[in-house]
Formats: sequence, C-alpha cells, structure tokens
Amino acid sequence: MARYILRRILLALVTLFLIVFVLFVLIRIMPGNPFPVERMTAEMIAMKRAELGLDEPILVQFANYLSLLMSGSFGNGTSLYNGAPIKPILWACMENSFKIGVLSVLFGTAVGLLLGITAALNRGKFLDGFCTVVSILGVCVPSYVFMIFLQYFFSFKIPFFPYFFDVSRFLFSSMMPALSLSLFSIATISRFTRNEMVEVMNSDYVKLAESKGLYGFELLRKHVLRNALIPVVTVIAPLVVDLMTGAMVIEKIYGINGMGKLMVDAIAGDGVDYNYVLALGILFSSMYIFVMLLLDILYGILDPRIRIAKENV
Amino acid sequence: MKKILTLILFVTLILTTACGNDSEPGKLRVMLGSNVVSLDTAKATDNASFEVIADCIDGLLQMDKDGRIIPAIAESYDVSPDGKTYTFHLRNAKWSNGDEVTADDFVFAWRRHCQVSDKYAYIMGSTVACIKNADAVVKGADPKTLGVSAPDSKTFVVELDAPVPFFPSLMVFPTFYPINEKFYNSLESGTYGTTHENFLYNGAFVMTSYVPGSASIQLQKNPDYWDAANVTLEKLHYQVVSSSDNALTAYRNKSLDLVTINGNQIEYVKSDGQLSKDLHIITTGLLQYLTFNQDPKNHHAGALSNVNLRLAISNSIDRESLVNNYVMNGSRATYTAIPIDFAPNAKTGKFFAEDQKQFAEYVGFNPDKAKEYFERAKSELGRNDFDLTLIYANDAGDTVIKVVQAVKAQVEENLQGVKITLQPMTKAEYLDKVTTNSYDMAVTNWTPDYDDPMTFFTLWTTEGSEISEHWSNAEYDRIIAECTTGNLAADYNARWNALYSAEKILLENAVIAPLYTGANTNLVAENVSGVDFHSVAVDRVYKHAVVK
Repeated sequence: MARYILRRILLALVTLFLIVFVLFVLIRIMPGNPFPVERMTAEMIAMKRAELGLDEPILVQFANYLSLLMSGSFGNGTSLYNGAPIKPILWACMENSFKIGVLSVLFGTAVGLLLGITAALNRGKFLDGFCTVVSILGVCVPSYVFMIFLQYFFSFKIPFFPYFFDVSRFLFSSMMPALSLSLFSIATISRFTRNEMVEVMNSDYVKLAESKGLYGFELLRKHVLRNALIPVVTVIAPLVVDLMTGAMVIEKIYGINGMGKLMVDAIAGDGVDYNYVLALGILFSSMYIFVMLLLDILYGILDPRIRIAKENV
Repeated sequence: MKKILTLILFVTLILTTACGNDSEPGKLRVMLGSNVVSLDTAKATDNASFEVIADCIDGLLQMDKDGRIIPAIAESYDVSPDGKTYTFHLRNAKWSNGDEVTADDFVFAWRRHCQVSDKYAYIMGSTVACIKNADAVVKGADPKTLGVSAPDSKTFVVELDAPVPFFPSLMVFPTFYPINEKFYNSLESGTYGTTHENFLYNGAFVMTSYVPGSASIQLQKNPDYWDAANVTLEKLHYQVVSSSDNALTAYRNKSLDLVTINGNQIEYVKSDGQLSKDLHIITTGLLQYLTFNQDPKNHHAGALSNVNLRLAISNSIDRESLVNNYVMNGSRATYTAIPIDFAPNAKTGKFFAEDQKQFAEYVGFNPDKAKEYFERAKSELGRNDFDLTLIYANDAGDTVIKVVQAVKAQVEENLQGVKITLQPMTKAEYLDKVTTNSYDMAVTNWTPDYDDPMTFFTLWTTEGSEISEHWSNAEYDRIIAECTTGNLAADYNARWNALYSAEKILLENAVIAPLYTGANTNLVAENVSGVDFHSVAVDRVYKHAVVK
C-alpha cells in the first residue's frame, strides 16, 4: 500500500512539473510584453525587459523561475504590470472564490442528491421525467446564462437580491452566483445518483433485503444509498475543485473579486501579466492534481482491485 | 396559525433588511468601465486609476467644471520671465495621517516617478514637461539632479529645459501628484497603494475599502480636506461593470447613479421618457484613426509607402456614416489630426481643431477623388490588386469591431482591387504588432495626456513612441522640435501656427486617416448634479457632486 501511495505522489509531482514547464513556455512565446508598452520608447522597453530578465534564453528563465518557485515565490513575487505583490491579492481572490464555491457545492450536492433519489424512487413516473428535464437543462444551459436570468428576475424585476456582489453582505449577495454555479453540479450529481441507485435497486442483494421484509427508509439508508453514493463521491470531487477555482464569466458579471476574474484581468490587459497567469495556472493545476491524488489513494483503499491493477502497470 | 404569522413576520423582516438597492442621500454610486490598475501615481496607466487617485489626492492645480486651471494644493504660482522656472506656493493642507502637505512630498514623488514609472516615464522628459535632467534620471542618473527643489516646506520650484506653454495644465495629471515620503517608507516595499490602509490621502475623499482588482471601491468624505466646506458628497461608491448591458440594467434598477452605455443602447434609451432625460453625451479627447505601416520592405504592404494609395484609402471612408450608423454614441466625424473640442487656444479660446474643413483637400469622403488617387497609385506601383490586413484590439468592446467592418466595406467598395483582411487580437498582441512593425494597417486611438495639441503631434515624429509607421519627415520633426524645446516654445501664437503647418504635412502625406473624436454616453440620475466631466487627465471629478 505504501508503495502504491508513494508512486501516486511521485507521479503527481512529475505531472505538476510538466504543467509548470508547458505553461511557462507557452506564456513566454505568446506575443506581447508583460508590461504596458503603449507610451514607452523602444529603448525603455529593452531596459525594462533586461531588468526583468526577459532577454535571457528561455531555459535559463525557466530555471530561475523554478528556483524562485521552490522558495515559495511566484517569479519575483510582484505583478509585472503594476509592481504590487501578488500573494495578498491571490489569497484575497482565492478566499472569495472558495467561499462561493463551497456554497455552491453544498447547494449543488444537496439538491442534486435529492433530485436523483426522487427520480430513482419514482422511476418512469412524472417526477422522474421532471428530474431528467432539470438535469438536461443544467448540463445544457451555461451557468452564466442562468446567472443573467436570476439577476434579471431577482435583482431587477423583483429587487430582492443586490445587483452586484457586496463583501459586506457576503452570504446574501453570494446567493445568486452560488445558485447559478451549482446548476451544473445539480445536473451531474442528480443524473449520476439516479443511475447508480436504479442499478443498486435492481441488484440481487437489495431484492434479497426486500424479501427479508426491509422496507422504505431503512432499506434505502442501509443498502441502497450506501452502495450507490460511493461512485457519486468521485464525481463530486472534481466538481468541488472546479467550483472553487472560480468562474470567469460569473465573477465578471456579478463583480466578484475571484480567481476567475483575476485570470481574465491578467490576460486581457495592455500586457499579459506573466507572474499572475503562471501563479494562477500553477494553483489551479495543483488543486486538481491534489484532489485526483486523494481520489486515487482513496480508490486504492476502497477497492484493492484498482491498486493491484495499477501496481502491475 | 401562530406558525404562519411567524413565517410572514420573518419574510417581511428579510425583505425589509435585504432590499436590493442601497441608495441614500449624499451617496453617489458610479460605474467604472475597467479595473483600477494601480493607485501608485508612477504605476497608474489608465483612466479608472487616474480618476480614483484624483478623488483621494490633490495635486498642485486642478480643473474647474469648464476645464480652466484653478489652484489646488498650490495657492498660487509664479513663472520666471523666460518661462523656464515655475515657483508654486503651497497652502496649508493636511495628509490623512495629520502631516502637513509639503514641497518635499512633490520632490519625492517626481523623482521617484522618473525612476520607477514605465508607461508615463516620458511625461517628465523633453517631449512633454521638459523638466531639467528628467530624461537622464529616467535612464538611471542620480534622481537628485532632477530640476525640482523645495527651498522651504511651502515653496516648490521646478526648473525646465525650455518654456512649456501648457505646463500648468500638466499639473492636473495624477503623475504630478505628491506622495508623503515618510508614509511611503514606512510600508513594505511594493505595497504603496495596494489597500486603502496603505494609501495616504490629502484629497476630497478617503477610501474605506479597496484591494487591487477590486470590483467595488468605497470612499467617504475626507473631513480634513482643505476644501472640505465645498464637498457635499458623503459617500462615493465605485462598481466595476464591464458590460454596458449590465450597466444599463443596474441603472434602471437604481443600483447605480452614473453609468456609461454604448451606441447600441442609445436608441432604446431615447425611446424611454425618463432615461432620455438622464442622457448626457460628452465628447472625450479620444481620436480614433487608421494608421499605415509605410515600411517599403514590409512583405505585402510595401504598397502603403505610396502616398496616393494612402490618400485613396483615406478619401474612400465615409466618416459621417461611420459615426451615425456604426459607432452611434455621439462620437463626431473628424477630419483633422487633432480631435474636436480639445486644446483651446489660451488667447482666443478657440479649440485647435475648430475648423474641420481646413484639410478637406486631403481628408474627407470623396469617392471620385479616391479613385483618382487610386489610379495614380496603381500606375506608380505597377499593380492592380492590393491585399492588406487591418489589425485591431478586440477586447475594447464591439464598437471597434463595427468600425473596422464598416471601413473594410467602404474601402473595398470604392477602390476596386483593394482587399482588406480583418485581424482581431488581444490588446497585448496588438501593441506588440504595432510596435514591432508586423502590420499593414491598424485601427488605433490616442487619448490626450494634457491639454495641448502636442500630446498628439509627438506621436508621429521619427523618434515618437508606440506605433512604428516608418514615416519620417525632416520638416515635421523640425517644427515639432522648435515648438517643444526650440525658439517657438516661448512664442505662443507662432507656435500655434507652426503646429498647423505640422498638421498639414501629416495629413497631405496621409500618415494617418483620422476617423472620429470619441464620446462618452452617460446616464446620470436626476437627483445627481455637479459631476464635472473632462476630456483630459481626469475624466470625472466628484468634488462638487450633489446627490439629493
């Protein structure tokens, strides 16, 4: 088991390294300067590039970046655009995205499970059809469209929720973005739950339990949900990361200082702020890799067949 | 029954406490079209930053509602007879930490600006403010050699290399604002202006909440402001809104009191009784124009080094149709290299580009003349087909997309044989292409940094920054040099006339094809008055704003 875990961790580190390398190279070969050149003369641009070490060969730049990263700093640690330190801003944006992400995960999981279970229990009936329609809508309609819809009805037609995000009223003003973000997870989780439950309910051991005289909630809790929900957890995990890394469009529309908005701002300005784009890219990927690693390990513990199969690869 | 009553009570409680809009008397809620890049005057590069900085910090001078220069921190100033030394006499004003605003704060800020600024480093130097030794300090010389000094705490002296007739108007630009050295040094390096606590105020407002990239910024009245008696606004709230549809809905919802909308929405706004009353169209100093890469070696655009081809293109663009049918936000068709309603003559009060017909011979919509020029170009170049690319930055909204499509359609229709390929790209890539010579034509714009035509004319000198047109004209360069640091700098009228000759050279050579002068279409709530709009330096000023 220890060998298995060690292998997973090593693999994760190699993946992360490769991602950092690819990101670094891609950003460097993108056209444009990382700082605003609009009113600068060629001489000044050259001076500035030399100051930032951008005139060195790309591998040397990468080695420098990596050594700084090892010491816990993203590049020189400041925005190349306005010179302000990156980290405080990064953490502040992460906090906002995290909080809204958690809200939408909670909401999405709760509603998703409820819908999925309801659909499975009423298979073939009206409620099943209703839940299917909701989940198809959830997969098809992008969350920002839903967001605009919510904003129009609940901030404009009926001015109940604030039109823009407001840190001083965090919970209240993050209801709408969290709700719209959770639409996709509601859809995914409910569909997955329904299918798993239907499968489990048709299995021999549930039929046996039924014939033993177990009914209703007891049967559901002890036999069906237990077995059906383990695979569902594997869907929820990546969704969690997805939601926590922020949503570019929603953050932009609703005026939330989150990681998605930060990424867009770093790319779409007069210059591409290398340090921000890289820092965010590294954070996003490490979060995914970490969650996948956890899942892998969890799988290995839950299901020895996977561990053995993978160890033989 | 009891339960139902409790529920009703609970719901009403929530409804009353959580109402969607938070309007209150004395509070102004304003849309910002983009993020504040930086509150550090040496790092700020954009209108949003300049506006917020100007709310918080007063410079030496400021503009009144009509754009005239009036005192701010400097109670008065003297100019030496040769126009090369300015002595500013500062009033008693306080920073928000209780310190006096002194001449040293200006000395520190200006020296530091030359050392650390990127985009606006040039403004202190010989093409604009001409402050003694500024160019050398920008390149790394000892900042103490910069021509600024503080003989005493209330006297600030600036020495120039040449008389600069518009020098007082430069003082309105946030680049020239003071920074309290003691406060600056007490902060961790790089953190000045990164939160509301890491910033010091001597202006009409202080921030109560801000982090970089903030989508909302809260300010409140500064009780220690030297002119606090004339500030009635209690609170100022900025909301960054990047979509104008979103802005309009927020305005109708009364979540914002001042928003900027785009051309598409004007028709709708005009059809609505109340909204049409709130509509204010304000000309900005922005000049939108077409620029040509004249490098003869440029692989397929070498043709653009031919002046007749450039003139043909310029004369086949219907600028009136462009502004009325595509831009539609109150922008005005422009036939000069200097935008309309900008840079008034200090003596006559007439705007520099008041006469829009003076260069009609070279710039205008004249398809017949365009064809004539085109025939000449074809015979001179010995070819009939021209494939040209037109690049533009597409992240500035959909107006520019409509403009390039219209320009393409008009030119291709009037000049049979010209084919234009449109190439959208991000702003960063666009800037890279125009500065490194990899383009044929570009739609670009320039916003003035100070209230003088020179802010545009320096763009097209051989040494000029930004876009490389690969155009060089000795006579043009000579006139501009004469007017900045040469003999004409001190003679107001002669300089003014010389600038017209420079403009003529520019336009008869069709170095650029001017398109239009930009405008902002604002909606201002009816209970709001006293917001000052300007076309240079600081777009909007709220010191005298009133919200009833």
